[in-house]
Parts: sequence; C-alpha cells; structure tokens
Amino acid sequence: MGRKKKKASKPWCWYCNREFDDEKILIQHQKAKHFKCHICHKKLYTGPGLSIHCMQVHKEAIDKVPNSLPNRSNIEIEIYGMEGIPPEDVKEHEKQKSGGGKGSDSEDDEPAAKKKATPALLGAGPSSVTPGILPTPMGPVPPGMYPGHMSMNHMMPPFVPAARMMMPGMRPLFPASSISVSTPSKPTFPAYSNATISAPPTTSAASAEPKENGDVAPPAANACPLVTATGAGSRIVHPPEDVSLEEIRARAANYRARGAAPRAALHHAASPALPPATSQAEWQSDGSWRLSASDVNDIMDMTNYKVAAHMSAAVAAAARQQAAAAALRRPLVQPMVGVLPQLPQLSQLPPLQQLQQPVRVGVPVSMPPVMGMLPVMPQFNLMRPLQPGMLLPGGMMPMGAMFPGGVPGLPMMQPRFR
Amino acid sequence: MFNQLGGATGNPNPNNDLEVSSPPEDTVSALEFSPASVPQTFLIAGSWDCRARCWEVESSGKTVPKAAQSMDGPILDVAWHDDGSKVFMASTDKSVKCWDLAANQTMQVAAHDAPVKTCHWIKAPNYTCLMTASWDKTLKFWDTRSSQPIMAMNLSERCYCADVDYPMAVVGTADRGICLYTLEGKPAEFKRAEAPLKYQHRCIAIFRDKKTKQPTGFALGSVEGRVAIQYVNPINPKDNFTFKCHRSSQGNTGGYQDIYAVNDIAFHPVHGTLATVGSDGSFSFWDKDARTKLKSSETVDQPLTKCAFNHNGQIFAYSVGYDWSKGHENYNPAKKNFIFMRACFDDLKPRTT
Repeated sequence: MGRKKKKASKPWCWYCNREFDDEKILIQHQKAKHFKCHICHKKLYTGPGLSIHCMQVHKEAIDKVPNSLPNRSNIEIEIYGMEGIPPEDVKEHEKQKSGGGKGSDSEDDEPAAKKKATPALLGAGPSSVTPGILPTPMGPVPPGMYPGHMSMNHMMPPFVPAARMMMPGMRPLFPASSISVSTPSKPTFPAYSNATISAPPTTSAASAEPKENGDVAPPAANACPLVTATGAGSRIVHPPEDVSLEEIRARAANYRARGAAPRAALHHAASPALPPATSQAEWQSDGSWRLSASDVNDIMDMTNYKVAAHMSAAVAAAARQQAAAAALRRPLVQPMVGVLPQLPQLSQLPPLQQLQQPVRVGVPVSMPPVMGMLPVMPQFNLMRPLQPGMLLPGGMMPMGAMFPGGVPGLPMMQPRFR
Repeated sequence: MFNQLGGATGNPNPNNDLEVSSPPEDTVSALEFSPASVPQTFLIAGSWDCRARCWEVESSGKTVPKAAQSMDGPILDVAWHDDGSKVFMASTDKSVKCWDLAANQTMQVAAHDAPVKTCHWIKAPNYTCLMTASWDKTLKFWDTRSSQPIMAMNLSERCYCADVDYPMAVVGTADRGICLYTLEGKPAEFKRAEAPLKYQHRCIAIFRDKKTKQPTGFALGSVEGRVAIQYVNPINPKDNFTFKCHRSSQGNTGGYQDIYAVNDIAFHPVHGTLATVGSDGSFSFWDKDARTKLKSSETVDQPLTKCAFNHNGQIFAYSVGYDWSKGHENYNPAKKNFIFMRACFDDLKPRTT
C-alpha cells in the first residue's frame, strides 16, 4: 500500500499456514484443528500438551500434529498462537507473503521480521488473556524468554504429576513443587487439571494416611498397615486398616458369640511369647498372661467387642504407625489410662492381637475428658475427608483412636466412607 | 447412601441368572463344584454362618439341597477330595474337617494355631495330601489319617489366599508376599515371586499354558480393583501385566472413583479365560492373552464374594453377600445372601486376536 512500515502482518498458523484476522481466532483454530485429541476430542493448548495428554490418558503416542503441513508437523515445537514460531519460519512466511503479495521488499524483511518476533511474544500477552487461563508472566517478557520458554516446556512432564495431584485437590502435598509449577506455568498446565487419572502411583510418599483423602501413594509393604488410594479422585472401598476383610469380620461381634470362634479369630500366634500349642482351654481361662511384661507391650487392649471391633483395629493401626513416637503418645494416653487401665502403651504390635476382656470402664463416660484433650478433631468433620499427614496434637493419627467407643451422638466410622 | 452399589437396588438378580435354592444365611466364603470324578454335579458352599452346604445341580439348572455340616466357627474355605467323596472345610475355629458325603459325617483332619484361611487337596502321582494355610503364618501338609502334619513350612506372614494346581502351589500373604511351591515328589518351596501389586492380596488363581496345559502362572487380585497376571517364568518380561477392574466410572468432576476389591478369580477349565468377582457387585470375564474384557455383568446391590466354574466349564457360579468392605456398620444381617449360576461356556470363549 505504499507504506514503508509494514503493518503487523496478520496472525498465521504455523502448522498449516493459514491466516487469521485476529490472534484469538488463530488460537481457537489451533486448538480445534491441531491440538485436539483424536480419541477424546479434548482440546489442549499446545502440541506438546496434546502429546502428553495422549500418552498419559490414552497411552497412545502421537508423532505429528494433526492437520498440519508435512514440514510443520513436529509435535515438540511449542506454538501458541503466534508465540513460539521459530524465527526462520517467521522469515520464510514473510518471504512467501511478500514474495507472493507485494514486491520483494527484502530490506523490509529484516526489521519487519524482528518487529514481528517481539510483538509476537509480547503481543501474545493481551490477546491471549482471553482464554483466561494463562498465568504466564505477561508484561516483562524479555525476548530472551523465548528460548527459555522452550526449555521449560520440556521440563513440564516431571512437574505434571505433581501438578495433577495438586490441582483438583485442596491439599498441597508437594508445596515445594506446586510453587515452582504455578509460576512458570504454561498453557498446558490447566489442561492437566482435568486429567485426574487413577494412574499407577507416580510419586511415592509412602506414608500412612487415612483412606478418605485419596491423595497419597499406596503404602509401602509392611510399613503402614492402611489401605489408601492414590490419585486425587479415587477411593478404595475397604476399611482403612490393611488387614484382610475376613480377619476384620472374624473379630466382629457377630461371630464372637460362637464360643471358640472368636478366640480362634483373635489368636494369631505372632507373639513369640505364646507357646505354639496353646489350647483353647488355656486361651479362654487364662487371659491374664497377656499382661506379662513383654506381652503388655505387644498387645493393644481395647474395650470390649461390642464396641466396633474394627475401631480398635484402627487404633492398632494408628498405634503401629506411632511406634517411633511412643513417648509422644504417652501424655495423650495418660488420661485414657484412667479410662482403660489395661492400655499401657500403644506400641508397635502385630495386627489383630486383641483380647476380649470383660468391660473395663464404660467408654462413653470417659469420653469428655479425652475430648478435652483434643481440640482438633478432624475425623468428625464429616464434610471433608481426612487429609494426608494430618496429625492430631501429640502425633496421633486421626483414626478415631481416642474414641474407640465412638462419641455419643456422632456416627461412627461414617467419615471413612466419604 | 452415597456408596450405592449397583443400579438395580430393587432387583437382586439383574443378570437373570439361576438362583440356587436355600442359600446360606450368611455370606458365602467358599464355593466349589465337584470334580470330574463325580458324574453328577454338586456344589459346596461354605459360609460365615458356620455351615457348609451341598446342593446337587441338575442339568435343568435346578438345585436340590442335599446336606449341610457345621463347624465351630465360620468357614473360610472348602476343598473337594479328588475322588469327589469328601469335602474339606477350613474354619476360624482353627481346624479343618473332612466331611464324608456318603456317610454325612465329619472328622477333624488338621489344626492350626489360628483360623485356617485356605485348604486345598493335592493329588500327586506318588502321594496325596491336604494343604492348609492359616493366619498363624504356617503352611501345613496333612495326611488326613494322622494328627500331625507330614510337613510344615513357615510363611512370611498370614496367608490371605492360595491356590493349588499340581505341580504348582502358590500362597499370597499379608505382607504382599507371594510364595511359589513345587509339589513334585514332595512339597517344597520353589521361590518367592516379586509382588506385582502394591495393595493387599485378596485372591489368587493358577492358570495353565494353553499348549502344554501345565500350570505356568497365576492371577492375583488385590483390594485396589486390580488383577496382576504373572508368569512364573516369563519368556518376555512384558508378558506380566496388570489390569484394573471393578471400579466405578470416574464420575463427574469432583466425583470420586470408587475402587473395589477383587474378591475372587477363577479360570475357565477349558478356555483358560478368567472371571473376576468384585466388591462392586459385578463379575467380569477376561481374556488374558488377548488382554481384553469379554463381558461385564450388571451390578448387583451387594458385593460378590466368590465364584467357581464346574469341572467342564459349563456353569459359572457366584455368590452374593456382604464382604465387610465397608466395615461392621454396613452389615445388615437381614439382607438375603444368594448364589447364582449361569451357563458360561460361550461367554468365556477367548477372543481370537
């Protein structure tokens, strides 16, 4: 048109060379034509984002960008709108346009190309805000950002699992990584917020956690006797204690009434102190051997089985986790000692070593003083599942360990199945 | 209730399968069909009501209750003697009894220090014996005529599941351990297999090689809705794989996916395909070689606890009842327990890849 300075050329799609009036439209085009998953039709934000999505969600590898020119199908190049276009391609495009359109304004190419590069990076800012998702640093994006852009992108995959866990959940399990992810977050980041796959455990924070939260990796063998789910959106339908359903059931009141049966269920010869040939009669008549020195440390004696037996199993589970923090627990336990005189120490013990003793103390009576001890009772927050790593003061896991009888008026065990 | 299992809460039999008459009064813990040595078809179910019941299954599908025996505690496993005349019952009363069906008498044949979780009958060319595994962390082999075991081995932890298919036996234990045994000559520990699953082992079943018909691997089910197929000697490490099953659909955003335990696995004796039953109230048929699912059932409103194929693979039986997966408080003793059967030969045909 006679102007020396070329107007900023129209946004064009690197993948297919089409031109658009507006970068917004360009981006919409890219999302719909190039960054759309052919399996689930989910629209991603970049090529690498699509590739990662297909790999993780569908386990399928993508090697080229859909609907792209043969020389522009590299899935690893990160293009978003006009951002990320390699300079030589920019030049080539300019050349093609100006070579085809106007005359050969070769001297204009250079400054024009450079001019396009910077606004391409910065200009992406205001217009691409419209998707409303990009928290990328918009303003002061130095041109030097561009190569940084690309390298950061390659780092995305390792961050993704952490991001994935963090996004849908309210609990920042990995606070360190969550901070680092959110600031340089790319358009790909929000894409992963929906990808809550119940994938095999990615990070192994092998800690003992209550089951409800579902944010934790599975327990390490033998370390933590709890059944917890991995991934933020799943929950395992199983009592939290990592003991077989039959064992839990065998302890329960229903099967207690049948004379030898519950004794049999209770008796798991894990305690070395127990002579292997203990007969039924011995077992029934002489319950007091349990309180011998070493056994006392090995056994979790809770109240009678009319109280939910699995609660006490949960206590056993909780107690086992606290083996190292036995000293910590002591002060907490003290008030309970008055309640349950046979509860000396909740130390590490083999599972299911529970005795049916005559009722010691009415548990509900003792509740209020114990309740006073625990200002924070997250297990009674029915609205929110227990959080991983959440410890009650004193280091006790919030397993209802302090309330084996249940608190009157509060439903027992309900929170577990939220 | 937010954990509603299954769609048809009103219909206890959404799959329209044959109902076994006079089912046990409590959850079925063991289900076994009679072996090929018996011309008729009998079904034994051991239950948490402390009884083992026997039905004759007629070709019309009609089931006739024949007999029942009690033990002093809930029954955890049953096993048929290879000649079909006796049934072994393992119970939480720490003993295993032998039930002579003809005489309808029982006799104790084994004892442990803790509830006996599994019992299997071994028929080797040069010996026969009963293999029992218990929560007392021991594995014992019994000549049923003697009160002392002919062999006893220690397990790393309580036995949670076991299976025997001569000459192989496998035991899954509480510490995610898997121990393989060879039964040739005499039972001996073969090796400790690597634990393919990260969650509690719930059920295990041995499968055979399609060509050689020899036991070559096992399927292991866990409480996390997953089954692992493991070969004892894989030609290619990729032969071993796991697959997810018995999980509710992901649901809407914010919805949780429920992951249920795989309560039992059984291999079809002819096709080599497998069936799994889960806590979610459904059963599924799978082809492990084609790595596909063959069929999913409709969900029942209670968990499925056990399943079994009859010796020629014509009948698939499964039991429906509460498995304690939601703890004690969700136990409703008034809820009826069921055992269903269906013709399954065609459903389990392998997918020709």
